[in-house]
Amino acid sequence: MSEMIRAEHLTYEYVRTVEEEKGSRSETVLALNDVTLTIPKGAFVAVLGHNGSGKSTFAKEINALLKPTKGVLWVDGMDTSDDELLWEIRQSAGMVFQNPDNQIVATVVEEDVAFGPENLGVEPEEIRRRVDQALETVGMTAFRKDTPSKLSGGQKQRIAIAGVLAMEPECIVLDEPTAMLDPMGRKDVIETIHRLNKEKGITIVLITHYMEETVDADWMVIIDDGKVAMEGTPREVFSQVEKVKGFGLDVPQATELAYRLRQMGLAVPKDILTTEEMVGALCQLQSTM
Amino acid sequence: MSITINHVTHIYNPGTAMAKTALDDVSMEFHDGEFIGLIGHTGSGKSTLIQHLNALLKPTSGEILLNGENIHQDKKRLKEIRQRVGLVFQYPEHQLFEMTVYQDVAYGPTNLGLSEEEIDRRVREVLEVVGMGEETYEKSPFELSGGQKRRVAIAGILAMQPEVLVLDEPTAGLDPKGRDEILDAVQEMHRRLGLLVVLVSHSMEDVARLADRIFVMHQGKVAFSGTPKEVFSHAKELEQIGLAAPQVSYILEGLRQKGFSLPKDIYTIEEAAKAISDCLQGTKK
Repeated sequence: MSEMIRAEHLTYEYVRTVEEEKGSRSETVLALNDVTLTIPKGAFVAVLGHNGSGKSTFAKEINALLKPTKGVLWVDGMDTSDDELLWEIRQSAGMVFQNPDNQIVATVVEEDVAFGPENLGVEPEEIRRRVDQALETVGMTAFRKDTPSKLSGGQKQRIAIAGVLAMEPECIVLDEPTAMLDPMGRKDVIETIHRLNKEKGITIVLITHYMEETVDADWMVIIDDGKVAMEGTPREVFSQVEKVKGFGLDVPQATELAYRLRQMGLAVPKDILTTEEMVGALCQLQSTM
Repeated sequence: MSITINHVTHIYNPGTAMAKTALDDVSMEFHDGEFIGLIGHTGSGKSTLIQHLNALLKPTSGEILLNGENIHQDKKRLKEIRQRVGLVFQYPEHQLFEMTVYQDVAYGPTNLGLSEEEIDRRVREVLEVVGMGEETYEKSPFELSGGQKRRVAIAGILAMQPEVLVLDEPTAGLDPKGRDEILDAVQEMHRRLGLLVVLVSHSMEDVARLADRIFVMHQGKVAFSGTPKEVFSHAKELEQIGLAAPQVSYILEGLRQKGFSLPKDIYTIEEAAKAISDCLQGTKK
């Protein structure tokens, strides 16, 4: 499988000014510190880390909004520090941000989705085709003539995803796309991106604070203090409850329950992620008692 | 402080083609010192409702009573009402603006014209309640983590010594640790200051654990109300309106279907772990 994203010793350093009573001083912040990782094409990768851990910086690096200060980052084989590749990189790796209201530019849904390809100078018939298809994919065709401001948060976020889809990217990076949504909106968005991944083979990099949203990912990366602190399948990562919590994160509810039952002396497996697995494990345990 | 919401209807743009009924004959009663959870999907009327509690919005019909008094009775008292009912909006840290944490929290009490000793006493007290130590007093709010900023913003409202604290999704956008810190701080305020707390939340797990009573809003009406146990016993109906019961209750339901004898009204991880352990130990004997 070829590589969608490859980071080698990726480092991002910046200087910030700290205001103090006796004037200001500057200090160097290592937002990303020697990150080496590979994301294969077609993978669904969840990136976790507490606020300020460096995960949003990583997302911005993929989109070439920031350039490495040391090391190299390749997106679909393109070096992100090469200015001439900037637009190609951004077309290849689309980005969806936290607040849907900040990403919508037009007053009609389909015009908003058409905004990206229009700017790329795509032919009108092709734009039409892409917009229709993108709206169909996110399940928003019925709303194509509506005003985005009248939609719910989850619907707006799906429009933002459609806008990225219309650019026909290879990869979509989503930076906490569900943080401002209600449970139903969250479910809609997560189901949509899983569909894009499975049906269209689009590589997904999902940054989130909701542990439940990560259990179906192929791979998980925990970033802490600008470094890759843990990596593995969700099952491998979440089975280490105390370590995960040590990074200011949490585990899915079913995993937490399994952890507590183990502490109470019950022989429940460590690597439980879902309701069904928990129920299955307890049935098995009961039959051996 | 108690709040009575009496047949409140709120229509945006009444009498126009854009008219929209956001609240439809809503009645609720919050008692002194209670911890209330308010849930419902986006657009269900929660935010419209809480803006009525401190008179930012006026009901189209019906009335809001604070300790039995209609809050719109006397316009001159609106300022006092807004001080007594503290409203923490979403992303309150966007409202931080002073140079230091201390100054930001002191801003409100300073405007009340209090003495310096009183201001200092209040600032120290509320920062302690939200878990911000003295070492943070002289820091710029912008140097803090997301959760810390938000706790400072909440402290600023507490410094006005409200009797009711209404929080609109105070954990939105925070990481798990930040979420825990905020909710611990809210519990601490409720316990120590005896405030009536109204928490708007999208997390069923959080309201199940924290609230004394829950109100579920749907299409501008109260769909369900009661203790967490009462409200979450309607799991199916909650799902139909885009909500759910706490996740752990689905595990217990699955186990009951497999023949485990477990009580029906369990909605927190702590209770679930204990019940499952008791049940299995019972099997052993």
